[in-house]
Amino acid sequence: MPVTSESPLLSPELMARLERLELVTRKVFRGRMKGERRSKRKGQSVEFADFRNYVAGDDLRLLDWNLYARLDKLIVKLFLEEEDLHFYTLIDASMSMDFGLPTKLYYAKQLAAALGFIGLARADRVRIETLGQGVSERGPILRGRHNVRRMMQQIEAIRPGEQVSLTEGVKNFCLRNAGRGVVVLISDLMDKGGYETALKYFVSHQVDCFVIQVLSQEELDPDVKGDLKLVDCEDQDEAEITVSAPLLSRYKQTLNAFTSGAQDFCSRRGIHYLLANNRVPVDDLVASHLRRRGLVR
Amino acid sequence: MEGLFRDTLGPGGWFVLGLIPPAIFALYFLKLKRQAVEVPSTYLWHRAIEDLHVNSLWQRLRKSLLLFLQLLLIALAMLALLRPGWQGESLTGQRYIFLIDKSASMSATDGLQGESRLADAKQRVAALIDQLESDMSAMIIAFDEQPDVVQEFTDNHRLLRESLERIEPSAGHTDLRGALELADGFANPGRVMSEDGKREFEVTEQQQVELYIFSDGRFRGVEGFSLGNLQPKFLPMGSFASQNMAITAFNTRQSDERPELQQAFAKVENFSERAHAVIVELYLEQQLLDAVELKIPAGDVAAAIFNLPGVSEGKLIAKLVIPSGFEDKLSIDNKAYAVLEDSRDARVLLVTPGNSVLEVALSTERMKRLAKVDKASPDIMKQADFKIQMQSEVYDLMIFDQCVPPAMPLASTVFVGRLPPQEEWSQGPAQESLFAPQIIDWQRSHPLLNLVELGNVQIADTLLAKPPLGGRTLVDSTLGPLVAIAPRDRYEDVVLGFEIVGKDGDGATFNTDWPRKHSFPNFWFNVLEYFSRRQGNARDHHSPGSPVELRLAGRTGTLEVELPGGTRRQIELASPGQLDFHETSELGVYAVSDKGKVVKSFAVNLFDREESDIRLQTKQDGEEGVQLVDSLSIGYVDVTAELSTSPVRRELWKNLLLGALAVLILEWYIYNRRVYV
Repeated sequence: MPVTSESPLLSPELMARLERLELVTRKVFRGRMKGERRSKRKGQSVEFADFRNYVAGDDLRLLDWNLYARLDKLIVKLFLEEEDLHFYTLIDASMSMDFGLPTKLYYAKQLAAALGFIGLARADRVRIETLGQGVSERGPILRGRHNVRRMMQQIEAIRPGEQVSLTEGVKNFCLRNAGRGVVVLISDLMDKGGYETALKYFVSHQVDCFVIQVLSQEELDPDVKGDLKLVDCEDQDEAEITVSAPLLSRYKQTLNAFTSGAQDFCSRRGIHYLLANNRVPVDDLVASHLRRRGLVR
Repeated sequence: MEGLFRDTLGPGGWFVLGLIPPAIFALYFLKLKRQAVEVPSTYLWHRAIEDLHVNSLWQRLRKSLLLFLQLLLIALAMLALLRPGWQGESLTGQRYIFLIDKSASMSATDGLQGESRLADAKQRVAALIDQLESDMSAMIIAFDEQPDVVQEFTDNHRLLRESLERIEPSAGHTDLRGALELADGFANPGRVMSEDGKREFEVTEQQQVELYIFSDGRFRGVEGFSLGNLQPKFLPMGSFASQNMAITAFNTRQSDERPELQQAFAKVENFSERAHAVIVELYLEQQLLDAVELKIPAGDVAAAIFNLPGVSEGKLIAKLVIPSGFEDKLSIDNKAYAVLEDSRDARVLLVTPGNSVLEVALSTERMKRLAKVDKASPDIMKQADFKIQMQSEVYDLMIFDQCVPPAMPLASTVFVGRLPPQEEWSQGPAQESLFAPQIIDWQRSHPLLNLVELGNVQIADTLLAKPPLGGRTLVDSTLGPLVAIAPRDRYEDVVLGFEIVGKDGDGATFNTDWPRKHSFPNFWFNVLEYFSRRQGNARDHHSPGSPVELRLAGRTGTLEVELPGGTRRQIELASPGQLDFHETSELGVYAVSDKGKVVKSFAVNLFDREESDIRLQTKQDGEEGVQLVDSLSIGYVDVTAELSTSPVRRELWKNLLLGALAVLILEWYIYNRRVYV
């Protein structure tokens, strides 16, 4: 049952909690603009980074006069630059995400909103995209707290029904966005073509990648009975089953193998993996699980 | 359908029932039109199914489990409707008495597999014992003429079976009453005690006792018997069509035409539905004397008479040679035994001063065949020779007419017109003669007064014949008893109080007009017949199991009796000259010997039409004309015979329905819990 929840993606209480958090990346990237986090680039901040010899054209304000007095050499004092962070959220908006209560897509949107809010609050560059988004449809990069409202509108505009495979979507995303940063992929990974190729694109793109696999409670613990013909909502593929205890246990085994396979695949490649159940509230997920995983602090 | 199954539905019902399994199939496959459910992805499901498809046949079976259960359910229901069952006897109750007939007819070999009826009955009882629950107890009584408690109430099956095995067929008659009374005694202990008009009612708890009677019903019903707590069941043994040929009488006698000639007489009966010819062979000891062929119509009797010239004594055996094609099911009545003895006539002494009418009455031809009558005058009593005769049982009967011996002789006596010289009879001082008594009553049932009419007899003078203790008045008059009989040791004394011929001044005169009546010779014939019989006639027929009383004059101490089988028994005489022998269960000739010398023989024969007619008694069922075993009437209760072919059906349908219910519950559980296997 598709649920298009009319409730706001983020409640004011949640926003208040999220304000205290910040996005973390283990890798240090270059930002575009001055931000609130360290950058690879040396710049102006209070944090000392290195010394180097003065070359003509350097800002004289950066000369270390004390050293000049002692060594009679012009040495420039370098400080670490504090820059902003590229934060991308990639939402899988395929038909399969339109299941569960709340729907997985709504859940993904909530998650994206929460993370985006954190990013905006910390003056990071936040971009929300979906897998099937064309180049022309992509929204602007948002920065600054005043863009929260825009981001919300952007997220709410996402509708299920995109017909693009995971691999294709990720590939397009990587081609579109050259900037390094943190990418959070929110998907159910249920692609018959497999998720491995898609994730390898992230690895080769050298982004700090988080994969949040959202599965509905109905998928984790199916409550079905009798002789059924299961129809895949994306490709109308059919599977005839007679529900029985062995079949259910077999399904759970398969599901476990699938999720643990994904986790294994990710951890081998330095990708953070998190399995999210749509019944777990988003604030819990962000405040505890993601924090434990190191995406937020 | 009669044996294992029994049809309970009509064709229509079976048709409808037959539609159910196809309907289940149809519904099952309709159910397989699966309900379509949209899922996010069939990705994982496909992989799960692929794993399970590996052993797909087993998976299919598991999938169809509900179908199988439904089919099993309907199969069980159909089987239950067929009412499968088998022969058996269901036992309901706590206490059982098995009455097993072991009489002669139960030896008939028309049971299953050619076994005897008794063996059949024992098998049936053994089967019943096997079914006894642990809290049930049973007792076994075997009966012929006498009931015999083979095993008292016990719940020990082994004991019951062992006791059952001990029952041996006998040659006796059947008497259910004794067995019933015995069973009643065990089943209804002390129901009502009646003592001095006060009634005590028993306080023990009444318990129903199941009474199984295994018999062929060859006996008359038991009248005037209350069953009380006994719940009778009559299980008839044998069949309707059993054939039997039997000797039902065999004895020796003097020829009517030639009194010196001995004859053997055999009566043969044909208990079958067709006429048959049979040869009767007569053996003396082991030697064939004669044979005769008899053609006997169905259900009829034929007699064979053998003349025995020159044969004076020995053991006679009559044997039936059964023709081929006749299945004689009972063999013990194909032989009959008789003892031929040197026929010694009874010896009678008439002591009289002269009584022509009495002498004439005692000298007819028939009298001569019965006894040898000697006549003497009262003077003889003074001779010493007579006194010896008096004490030595030379005579069987002494008739004292108008005279009295000095002492009572060792013989039965008849006193005419005098009282015996005993205090018991004389009763004090000498009696006066009484005049003109009128006869008012006489004992018509007594053998001495058989066919004797005394109502028209006039008597002038008489003495009163008051019998001593133990005696009986035979003829009573207005003045008192006229004729009486009283026992004395093993003899009997008859006293006629009135003289037949009296003496007065004119000489002999008649005291009564009795000699002019028919009853006079009849009475004296009865007297001779009665007293000559009492000497222990060899022609008497003894039934198996009944006690035999023999008079063996002059024998004392211990005698030896040889049974037909050859075993010997030492028997102490209860009183001199009297042998009581009880062990007469075997058929044949018993020889009594004293110090190695055979002094007496007697034969024990079955001679019972009821036992020999081994066909089950039938009654016609009015509606269907089916032959049914006649019911047994005990008191006012008619005990219907249970069909011997299938006494009780042990039905399975209840268990089948319970099984079907269990299957239904299992199916419900599996359907709801989705637990397959």
